[in-house]
Amino acid sequence: MANQTLLATSAFLHWKPVKALNFTVEPRETLTMASFAAAKGKKDALAAAIRAAYGADLPKGSGRVEGNGIAFVWAGPDQWLAIAERKDGRDLESELKAALSGIASVVDQSDGRVVVRISGSDARAILAKGIPVDLDARAFKPGNVAITHASHIGVILWQIDDKPTYEVALFRSYVDSFAHWLLDSAAEYGV
Amino acid sequence: MATPGQGSGTGSQPNRLETGGLVDRSRIVRFTFDGKTYTGHPGDTLASALIANGVSLTGRSFKYHRPRGILSAGSEEPNALVELREGARREPNTRATVAEVFDGLVARSQNRWPSLDFDVMAVNSLLSPIFVAGFYYKTFMWPSALWEKLYEPAIRRAAGLGRASDEADPDTYDKATAFADVLVIGGGTAGLAAALAAARTNARVILVDENATLGGRGVDDGADINGNPAHEWVRTVEAELSSAPNVRILRRTTAFGTYDGGTYGAVERVSDHLAVAAQGVPRQRLWRIVAKETVLASGATERPVVFGGNDRPGVMLAGAVRTYINRFGVLPGRRAVVFTNNDYGASTVAALKRAGAEVVALVDSRAQISDEVKRIASEAGARLLLGAVVTGTLGKKRVTGVTIHTRTGEEERLDCDLVAMSGGWNPNIQLTTHLGSKPTWNDKLLCFLPGTLPHGMSLAGAVAGDFTLGKTLVGGTSAGSAAVTAAGYAAVSVPVPKAADESDAVAPLWRVKSPNGKAFVDQQNDVTESDIELAEREGFRAVEHLKRYTTLGMATDQGRTANVNALAIMAEITGRTIPQTGITVARPPYTPVSLGTLAGHHREKHFKPTRLPPSYRWAKENGCVFVETGLWLRPSYFPRPGEKDWLETVKREVTTVRNAVGICDVSTLGKVDLQGADTAAFLDRIYMNGLKTLPIGKCRYGGMLREDGILMDDGTVARLGENHYFITTTTANAVKVVQHMEYCAQWLWPELDVQIVSATEQWAQYAVAGPKSRELLQKIVDPAFDITDAGFPYLGVGEITVCGGIKARLFRLSFSGERAYEIGVPARYGDALMRRLAEAGKEFGACAYGTEALGVMRIEKGHISGPELNGTTTPRDVGLGGMVSTKKDFIGHVLGKRPGLVDPERPALIGFRPLDRSQRLRSGAHFLKRDAQATAENDEGYMTSVAYSPSNGHWVGLGLLKRGPERIGEIVRAYDPVRGGDTLVEVVSPVFVDPEGVRVRG
Repeated sequence: MANQTLLATSAFLHWKPVKALNFTVEPRETLTMASFAAAKGKKDALAAAIRAAYGADLPKGSGRVEGNGIAFVWAGPDQWLAIAERKDGRDLESELKAALSGIASVVDQSDGRVVVRISGSDARAILAKGIPVDLDARAFKPGNVAITHASHIGVILWQIDDKPTYEVALFRSYVDSFAHWLLDSAAEYGV
Repeated sequence: MATPGQGSGTGSQPNRLETGGLVDRSRIVRFTFDGKTYTGHPGDTLASALIANGVSLTGRSFKYHRPRGILSAGSEEPNALVELREGARREPNTRATVAEVFDGLVARSQNRWPSLDFDVMAVNSLLSPIFVAGFYYKTFMWPSALWEKLYEPAIRRAAGLGRASDEADPDTYDKATAFADVLVIGGGTAGLAAALAAARTNARVILVDENATLGGRGVDDGADINGNPAHEWVRTVEAELSSAPNVRILRRTTAFGTYDGGTYGAVERVSDHLAVAAQGVPRQRLWRIVAKETVLASGATERPVVFGGNDRPGVMLAGAVRTYINRFGVLPGRRAVVFTNNDYGASTVAALKRAGAEVVALVDSRAQISDEVKRIASEAGARLLLGAVVTGTLGKKRVTGVTIHTRTGEEERLDCDLVAMSGGWNPNIQLTTHLGSKPTWNDKLLCFLPGTLPHGMSLAGAVAGDFTLGKTLVGGTSAGSAAVTAAGYAAVSVPVPKAADESDAVAPLWRVKSPNGKAFVDQQNDVTESDIELAEREGFRAVEHLKRYTTLGMATDQGRTANVNALAIMAEITGRTIPQTGITVARPPYTPVSLGTLAGHHREKHFKPTRLPPSYRWAKENGCVFVETGLWLRPSYFPRPGEKDWLETVKREVTTVRNAVGICDVSTLGKVDLQGADTAAFLDRIYMNGLKTLPIGKCRYGGMLREDGILMDDGTVARLGENHYFITTTTANAVKVVQHMEYCAQWLWPELDVQIVSATEQWAQYAVAGPKSRELLQKIVDPAFDITDAGFPYLGVGEITVCGGIKARLFRLSFSGERAYEIGVPARYGDALMRRLAEAGKEFGACAYGTEALGVMRIEKGHISGPELNGTTTPRDVGLGGMVSTKKDFIGHVLGKRPGLVDPERPALIGFRPLDRSQRLRSGAHFLKRDAQATAENDEGYMTSVAYSPSNGHWVGLGLLKRGPERIGEIVRAYDPVRGGDTLVEVVSPVFVDPEGVRVRG
């Protein structure tokens, strides 16, 4: 018994499916994530390495780019969060450690953060109930990133498309409180 | 001509006009007031519906219990405050003038007993000579002990307003943020013109208006715009704005506060006009509106005139009379006297006449008035009394007449059932002053106008002193265009709607001297003009003193109908000008905001977010009792059947750890990953103890100081690789430590190569503690890893795998003093690992333990925690003086050497046990020498932490005692006056278990 493998537990165990006419919420369950930060004086080398390996230009300020199945999300000064689907054993910590050896530090975040995808024409009005960022189409566009809070819960938020679809990354332990706020806020929209 | 009553199809509403107003006469709503059923129409406020039904008495006043009616037609109402709804939804002090009626509304008058009609406390009115300003301060001074117990409760019973519900609020509240290029506050004619000019550029425009319908005084005054009734223009503009995707109209929304950076607070009463909010819809919503530019078109509030009996039901603001006629189609009286100092008296006369009322007289304090006013009075058949004033009112619960002091000095009585009064207009400047700007007095308009405006704010309409309809439209259009240009849009030319400019001439009249009866200045707080005279005589002449001494302007209406009259009267008494006298500071909110709205979603257990540790679900299944530590919900203890209290449970958990093995979720400790070539140097500057010598694969206990030399946090530092460290912090300080480190890396030493990443949530981490901990771990650690004492000694750290290849980190650390480990796995495996450890631990007699047992064991070992790391202690104070490096510089090093911090007299950590071992100890107890008096001068420190020690069989304590470590063996008093404790305790070593530290090494 003892050495049987451990089964992973979903962070979204208490979530109920969210279906409304103009609003969907989808937890992203199978992600591999790692944060990486440029070593002193290695900013340009890091940018070059990412470009070479993934064909993506790391955003220098707030922003999100994609390359080779990885989304690179700006996460602070000279820091990024890399996110990819965890399929075929892909593990960004080891992948990036190999690719960025000597030019960046890499830390696994696959379990520390969870990502929720929020989409639909009511999404802006619902998110406005807890996120103090201007998400109007004129002000916030696909590829934009905000490090902010949602109802007192620290989040990184970015936009995927014009539907609009957003993703919110938050620390794992807050998932139930976040869900409670989100569903409360969406109640007015038929959720 | 509209006539009240007959044949209107609303026969039960005697004062409803046949035509006019914006109410929907085709539909009837039924509501009750003080138990009696009445009807109204959609579009009515409670006040307009009560007027329609001939109800003029709506409440009793705060102090004198005088009968009161409806003074105004807006949010400034001081008198018609009612309780709305029933049961859990009962809400006191709601203004009948803004509450919309709906089918089934239940409203009650307030502040009367046994009934509104017969109120026992009206006897206060007879005692009024003694209930003057400052009465409570003067009378209930001695003995002061009686204030809280006797005087205040008694006064509150007699003087209170409505009753709040005792039940939990069943409604939901919401908060949201909105952004605008141009925010327009106020949906009157000026605001609508501004919004239209701004909206046509495609800028994002938000228009907020506190009423259910737009139009403001344009509708209230029944004027014409572009040759048609104003409400038709309003409807056209509203239609255009409503269909524009770049415009958001927030009706029933009051902007209540101006904040920094173009931010405004507003309350939207989403469902207050409905019996029950629709499913999922909040009752009210708090808006935080961030605007590049703001056009304030908040209008003006009419001033009452201060004369005798000016509070009697049937005495109403003249503008409100016009509003009731023109907006609501109700007639507030049949025989009216209009009393004024300005030309708006004439439009009131005209409106009353049009609506079919008899206007007995126009009493104008001015000796000279325009021919136009004379013509209107004459057409209405009203006597024109120039240079005359109303000195008093007749009647009891409704005005039946007035006494007039004529120009020639004669007294005259006129019969009437309505007095429409106007003392001029006060621009609603409150939102311009919230950031500290002082308003300026205008001698021609006789009002305060906004001073320096907050950045990004401009004015339109009456708030700017543009009182006339034509001017509001011109000013609104140009303010809207200017604002949208400033917000970066090319303005579009918008034709200015055409309207006449009525005359707004006004002459000063602040009070009628020698009034016939009490003349009220602040009707909600029952402050009279003689109270102001009294305040002046007693030296409270400054406006802020006047306010506090008389309570003028301090009621829920914030004195909106009272303040300017009050300071003008004070100016008159003291022979100063109004600007010399000054104006009190207006602070948010402009109108009352309910606490539920401010709380929004954050109520009850959702007051703050809750963080759940990885073993939460398992712990819950196993009957765990949790404790909130910061945002975390941590296992506190795990009671088992048959255990009679928490102490028994905790004893069992401690004993299990000391004799076998226990498992505790320590995932909540802060975890920080540090990498980079200079990490060792960085940590050496952060921590007070040396870390440069820490080898790879080892942990060390560390402490860090604040810049001022006080302990900030403690934890462990593990070195995983040449340039890779992993530190832990206390749960409470996890965020603070990361913040501190980022500050140091980014600002103090940007030259260092160090990258800091919080990894608290990545790892589920469990302490496995007790003599059998290694045996238990061996069940799960993969065989490739040697965790024998030789291969993995005390303070070792290693990256390993468990359960067949799951990556893990193992630390040999102990907080309990036993052989112990901390094992971390990626958080998604946390639940499974807890289950596996509990299952595998059965054969060793393992149990889970929580923060209680953790606390007992650390006290038994003399380890410090939150109560000792309390923001006032130095390393030396808590017995860590020896750890502080003398060979390097680090944060807190220099200031930590200040004389006060190294004073040998400072209380320092030591252990305690009760002399009588059966006695319990209390943390917080103060130490006194055995025979010293219990005075503050004799205080020698205090007990910081106590626990019942199962290992010792009695209570033990840690505390900070003056020269503590030198006093082992001494008996001192632990004096606890709060809980009545006075215990003799013995000063002992703070280590109560295994003082040699043998067990931890195994």
